[in-house]
Amino acid sequence: MADKNMTTMSDRNLQSITTSQRVKSILGKAGIYLFLGIMALIVLFPFYWMIISSLKNLSEYRKAIPTFWPHEIQWINYVNAFNTANLGRLFLNTLYVGVVSTILSVIITVITAFAFARLEFKGKELLFAMLLATMMIPGELFTITNYITVVNWLEWGNTFTALIVPFLVSVFYIYLLRQNFLQIPNELYLAAKVDGTSDIKYLWKVMVPLALPTLISITILKMMGAWNTYIWPKLVTTDKEYELITNGLRNAFTDTSGQADIPKQMAAVAIVSAPLFLVFLFLRKYIMAGVSRSGIKG
Amino acid sequence: MKKRIVAVLLLVAMIMSMMVACGGKKKSFESTDVKVPNSGYDGSKVTIKFAHTMGAKLQEVLNYHIGEFNKLYPNITIEHDTYGGWADIAGQINTEIIGDNQPNIAYCYPDHVATYNMSMTTVSMDNLISSTVEIERADGTKEIMGLTQEQIDDFIPGFYNEGKVYGDDKMYTLPMSKSTEVLYYNKTFFEENGLSVPTTWDEMEAVCKKILEIDPKCVPLGYDSEDNMFITMCEQNNYPFTTASGEGKDHFLFNNDQCKSMVKRFREWYQAGYITTESIYGSYTSALFTELSKDVLHSYMCVGSSGGAGYQIPEARAFEVGVAPIPQADPANPKVISQGPSLCILRGGKTTDQQVMASWLFVKYLTTNLAFQTEFSSTSGYMPVIKSAQDNEAYAGWLNRANGYEYLTALVVKVGLEAADGYFTSPAFNGSSVARTEVGKLLSQALAKDNADIDKLFKDAYDECVYMAS
Amino acid sequence: MVESKQQWKAWLYLAPAILLLLVFTVWPIINTVSMAFQEDYCAQRALMGETYEIGIENFKKVLDYGNFVDYLTNTMILCVATVPISTILALLIAVALNSIKTLQKGLQTIFFLPYVTNSIAIGMVFAAMFNVIGFRKAGGEALADSWGIINNVIMFFGGKPVDWIGANSSLAANRFVVMVYSVWNALPFKILILLGGLQSINKQYYDAARVDGTPRARVLTKITIPLLSPMLAYVVITGFIGGFKEYSSIVGIFGDTMGPNDMNTMVGYIYKALSTQKQGAASAAALILFGIILVVTLINLRVSKKRVHY
Repeated sequence: MADKNMTTMSDRNLQSITTSQRVKSILGKAGIYLFLGIMALIVLFPFYWMIISSLKNLSEYRKAIPTFWPHEIQWINYVNAFNTANLGRLFLNTLYVGVVSTILSVIITVITAFAFARLEFKGKELLFAMLLATMMIPGELFTITNYITVVNWLEWGNTFTALIVPFLVSVFYIYLLRQNFLQIPNELYLAAKVDGTSDIKYLWKVMVPLALPTLISITILKMMGAWNTYIWPKLVTTDKEYELITNGLRNAFTDTSGQADIPKQMAAVAIVSAPLFLVFLFLRKYIMAGVSRSGIKG
Repeated sequence: MKKRIVAVLLLVAMIMSMMVACGGKKKSFESTDVKVPNSGYDGSKVTIKFAHTMGAKLQEVLNYHIGEFNKLYPNITIEHDTYGGWADIAGQINTEIIGDNQPNIAYCYPDHVATYNMSMTTVSMDNLISSTVEIERADGTKEIMGLTQEQIDDFIPGFYNEGKVYGDDKMYTLPMSKSTEVLYYNKTFFEENGLSVPTTWDEMEAVCKKILEIDPKCVPLGYDSEDNMFITMCEQNNYPFTTASGEGKDHFLFNNDQCKSMVKRFREWYQAGYITTESIYGSYTSALFTELSKDVLHSYMCVGSSGGAGYQIPEARAFEVGVAPIPQADPANPKVISQGPSLCILRGGKTTDQQVMASWLFVKYLTTNLAFQTEFSSTSGYMPVIKSAQDNEAYAGWLNRANGYEYLTALVVKVGLEAADGYFTSPAFNGSSVARTEVGKLLSQALAKDNADIDKLFKDAYDECVYMAS
Repeated sequence: MVESKQQWKAWLYLAPAILLLLVFTVWPIINTVSMAFQEDYCAQRALMGETYEIGIENFKKVLDYGNFVDYLTNTMILCVATVPISTILALLIAVALNSIKTLQKGLQTIFFLPYVTNSIAIGMVFAAMFNVIGFRKAGGEALADSWGIINNVIMFFGGKPVDWIGANSSLAANRFVVMVYSVWNALPFKILILLGGLQSINKQYYDAARVDGTPRARVLTKITIPLLSPMLAYVVITGFIGGFKEYSSIVGIFGDTMGPNDMNTMVGYIYKALSTQKQGAASAAALILFGIILVVTLINLRVSKKRVHY
């Protein structure tokens, strides 16, 4: 009797705990969504602004008091943007530079980060400190020296090489990937050694898959670089054949008095960003796929 | 880690001390002068690089005229390229100069040429202009290398003299295409209310007062560029601003009582609600001028660039725009600022004499050829630099279409050309661009700040200029 | 324990990176150092064969600059205030994104959009948010045609509008705007990195926590943050380095004049010096900035050494 009572009581207790927990969890979920929603709006706003600007006519765009929705939607901007700038070639050039430099850069980043994270050699700490130190000097002063190196010494003026090679090594990414590699337990490496697995094979079969989300992030950031550089490409390539997207867009939509036709420019940016965005959507899968197969220690 | 990094620093310092002696490539010319060879341009095959900031439409005009030029000189190949905006072109050419890869001809503002001059990369044009060497063209006709007196006289004097603002009496640039500031006014409103267009700043003050009485919700005048305003006021009133001669702090003369009282006067205008500027209003003052709603701030006058006439046209012919020269301090001695590209010739260690000669011929063609000057003007809305342009039939036809609505650009050019005698350019030297920015900033703050300390603003601007130039 | 074979192999792996860095990073740095120690070095005049005395005049000149302290303060405030805020926000967003199921894909996509947004558009948005247009005083009352979005919000809640970036704005208001911009600007990158880092955490920890009924906040502080610490250290350290080198975002907001209160930073000084062909002073300023960043990074590394679990 007493026993029976006790069980029902504890049952009821258990039940009330789960309801209160459920309420709590629903409230928590709602809070999370609210937070994400607000942040998403904030992050989304510039993108929204870019799109509506690309659909305004120039006089509406130049109005002192900005309008939040175009009075008259100007699809013609997109047509004009497509026809004015040589978007096809600009896009292909940028894609070429972006893809080649991303692939090479990722390879260099992986092997360098591997050496710093896994291998033992004299002066490792010192070398890594030096690497970090190079990040701390503002690069504005490098332009002139690198320009002379590339154009006068290496004679790479007007080549894609000049656009790719100087930026292949990024200490930012090496550092990032090293952080990620360090999280992978050393035991895996030692075990692989015992099995006689070669370093390259281990790197490719174990480290790279485990660090895939970070590698994808690096890929995205590096690709974006090709879309955004401006000063350097203009400096080392004077031939239109090598023009990249940012330069091409800047020049194509400047009117006679030197003022940019921003709506058309925004339309062009939207056009050339679309393929890039699709690549993101595709890569996102891999970032979020995660490495739940385990292997990473905590 | 700390010790390691200290070690790195020591290492770098060590390498550095070994490298200090290693400078750039020495190029150097004794002077910027060139000697015209006895045969002038001898017809040899040369390639010329031309750096500019033209948009797509203007490049079409340029390409056509390169073709025309090549009919005369088939062996001169012109490669041209747009370097982006004004800030980009100066930065890039300065870098290219250090690598000895500069273009042969460049679009320029005086401030830019002053920096190119530091390495004597610019060619002074005096010997070229005065050369009487006769050369033969491919069509059988002949021309002299230099400019004829007729050609020199044909240039609008204020534009031509811009080539000599470097403090050494030498001529470094020829004007290519110019703009200036004009006064845009709401002609419909002026006529309805029987207002007359101000020709002096005193009249301007009176007109502003009247307009405010008629329409208390407006600000009568918008002035787009604060730096132009300051510089033009100095020039009109003969107040010292800058000078190209001297070193370091000798260049900057604007920290004086006359300039201060000028600024104070405009502060009073601002407080009375007569005037606003781009940075105070928060957007282009052309937007203020074309604003049609009377519920929000709007203006009836705007001092803006003649190159931006297209932006001063209201929607749907809502009112007629009038254009007048900007008001003056002394109408007998008018002064208006000259802006827009000039052309300079650059040379480096690898540049041959024939390249310089060929560059000069092309510069001469662009600046003196009637067809090019007029076509370029009607495409860009900038003014031609030669007086004879107005005699050209097609161009005169374009000018005659001028009205206060859709052909405002032609009207503006017409007014600009009438002001021909008053054009000036402020002196150029390394640091003249700093002075321009600083006085513009000074003016907008002197007008708008609640408790502006005019003396301090002047002192700060002056100190910044002196520091940056020395 | 170090095998000589591994030594050799390590250097082989490092060779491409080291070679490229020597040419495109170390060599320019050496040039920078050399220019910094040549008095009044000017690259244009050096072409003319002008030579310079070796000394520390350039450094003195930088320190003598009237606005030097202001620029340094601007830079410091920018870093100290914005790095922690943006890191915490990015962490919360990344964790939240990771914890949801419904709408996860859609929301993630939104947080990627900044990467395909043109920087000009971002500048325009800031104008729409903060720019006061058509300001005037009428009979003691402040009027404007457009107060900007932020002021509209403030006024909606009964507050007084602020001139954020206009000609009459205060230094504090300017700084606030720059901070908001920096946080905003830094978010996408940090979210991307942290989201990637979160995927590397073994799901078993979370499963265990769920079975135990551990509260969310505790999961965050006891599991997520420690396991994410290498990535957090990374975003903080690089965030500080990036913050000290900030310049272009301020131009984006205020234009070349850097606003009524001169919001310029250390790198802004370098640009100014370069524009008047003072490469010597610019190089010296770069080295001074390097020294400051170095000290801050050393502090960061020391702190992170204690806190980061690999």
